[in-house]
Amino acid sequence: MLAVQLLINGILLGGTYVLIAQSLNLIFGVMRVVNLAHGSFIVMAGLFTFWLSARTGLSPLIVLPIVFVVSFVVGALLQPVLIEPLMNQGRRAELLSLMVTFGLDYVLVQIALHVWGADYVSLPYLQSTWTFGAITLSKALVVVGLFAVGIVALLYFGLNYTSFGKALLAASQSPVGAACCGINVRRVRLFAFALGIALASSAGTLLIMILPMAAESADNLTILAFVIVALGGLGEYAGVTIAAFLLGLAQSLAGYFLGGDAANVLPFVILIAVMLLWPQGLRRAA
Amino acid sequence: MTNTHLLHRLAWASGVAMLLSFMATPGQAADKPILIGATSSETGPFAADAEYNLNGMKLGIEEANAKGGWLGRKLELKIYDDESKPGTAVRLYTRLITEDKADLLIGPYSSGITQAIAPLMNKQQYAVVEPEASIPTIYVPGNKWNFQGVASSLTYLEGLLPLANKNGAKTVAVLGLKSAFTLACYDARIKQAEQLGMKVVYKTTYSLPEPDFASMALAIKNAQPDVVLGCTYYPDAVGLVKAFQAQGFAPKYFAETVGPVAAAFTKALGPLANGIISNTGWWHNFKTPGSKEFTEHYKAMFKQDPDYHSAAGYGAVKVLGAAVEGTKSLDQDKIRVWLHANTVDTVQGPFKVDANGLSQGFSQSLVQIQDGHLKLVTPEDLAEAKLLVPYPGK
Repeated sequence: MLAVQLLINGILLGGTYVLIAQSLNLIFGVMRVVNLAHGSFIVMAGLFTFWLSARTGLSPLIVLPIVFVVSFVVGALLQPVLIEPLMNQGRRAELLSLMVTFGLDYVLVQIALHVWGADYVSLPYLQSTWTFGAITLSKALVVVGLFAVGIVALLYFGLNYTSFGKALLAASQSPVGAACCGINVRRVRLFAFALGIALASSAGTLLIMILPMAAESADNLTILAFVIVALGGLGEYAGVTIAAFLLGLAQSLAGYFLGGDAANVLPFVILIAVMLLWPQGLRRAA
Repeated sequence: MTNTHLLHRLAWASGVAMLLSFMATPGQAADKPILIGATSSETGPFAADAEYNLNGMKLGIEEANAKGGWLGRKLELKIYDDESKPGTAVRLYTRLITEDKADLLIGPYSSGITQAIAPLMNKQQYAVVEPEASIPTIYVPGNKWNFQGVASSLTYLEGLLPLANKNGAKTVAVLGLKSAFTLACYDARIKQAEQLGMKVVYKTTYSLPEPDFASMALAIKNAQPDVVLGCTYYPDAVGLVKAFQAQGFAPKYFAETVGPVAAAFTKALGPLANGIISNTGWWHNFKTPGSKEFTEHYKAMFKQDPDYHSAAGYGAVKVLGAAVEGTKSLDQDKIRVWLHANTVDTVQGPFKVDANGLSQGFSQSLVQIQDGHLKLVTPEDLAEAKLLVPYPGK
């Protein structure tokens, strides 16, 4: 029973990791932009959800679509101003995008600090459990995990089975080839960035139910997402999903058998090991 | 020369002499406020509790200024945000000393940050009251300039294990965040449990940010301790409670050091916070001198209830003020000697230190969250409620 509980804990943790990482991966996959402001979008959405729910009593699951739409619009407004001009900078684009998103991260964190303060907050939502024999399931964790996996599943089907999704994948694989086939690559990039921001923000709304979060959590979330994406392979959607679940499971086991310190350091140990053995990521190594 | 001319000349001469004396010692100008410098963790993981500490300092300064300040000069508080980072604090205290030319300094929030700035105080020879540095390892031979203004970390949750043991608790799990204060508390509580003959069935340390509390909670659930002691700060205090609930485990006694006393704790956890035990170095019903006025003034100024962090910040200003007035000087060495030799009554209790600056007068009491409100549960003569066990966990 212990093994089952550890497995469930790991899968639920992995479910949240999938959502945190896929949004970063989507933006990188299509634009080759490592969005260093990723964590700050997660945190801003989390703090906004806390603020709105605490004031209006709205369930964070009702706030979720609001956050998704608002952040999609924010992403769509930011992309043409900040990211698109870098796309014709050739090889310099990646480095320039790091600098631009680093600046954006700083601005967003300062806004979050100014608007919501520096305190760690968390929402007391769905604080009860389902018990099946010796197995205990936290309702909040299950709901967060299901929503996260559901959103990522929608992303997967959207990318693979819709014409726009296929266009997006095509643009990520070969922007020139996609343009030759009549795909409006510029529009695809705009959509991908906005969607990535909306997914990251959705992760924030869900995470605030299970984790204490503050403006300063942003950088840690960016690093975590980056570790998962690096493990799975940059731009590899299936690889990143596998990496997120594997990391969740590994942390669950390490935390149980080796204690909190081991669980904290594990993602970085795994990252170093994978980079040494399979620098192209887990998916391509498999 | 007529008497009138002589008087005029004397008046001129004394005027010029006074002017020159002011110019020679510009820091002593009667109209220039005394600059008191400090850093506070306005951002970062310590922000929730550090805010209370800073508010306490601000109130202390406000009250002193309302009474005309110290040595007939008003007080000015200069605060920088150390972002909960020791390195940043060292840089900022250096700035306070070298650029801002602060007349007096007060210590920052948390033991870890104080540990970083303490050598600077010894080097620069600033006599500093440390309102939030509870670890005893700062106040050792060689330390001459840092004075502990809060109860020692060894006393945090000290009262709980004997009480639980007396009521039949036999097993303990101890968790400790990797920071100077929490690790000192972690080691002290493990040692105390062993001395009491209680079995430590689980112990681990962890680091922020956001470790996987679920696995630790599951491991503790399997060990089934009667008492869980978390040597925590605010973010992990909240995370641990959520993780225990998620794993369906509620120990009979569930205590955490820093976190539960903050108002944000109950907001973040709702009913799950009920039953959590913590500690405090000050409570509003303490019979210490000035405690009632402190509570009233603090509430009026900040529209929130003060906590023991506020009392520590407030106390540090009072102690420093007593030393300045006692020595009639801003001379750091005179203040240092005075602080070693004298006892100052504060709202937390008597400030008095040993030869190394370690507090000898403060102690800790236990509080518990009951129906969403903190209640003092020890000492018996001041207790507002009885300790409720077991922790409901829902």
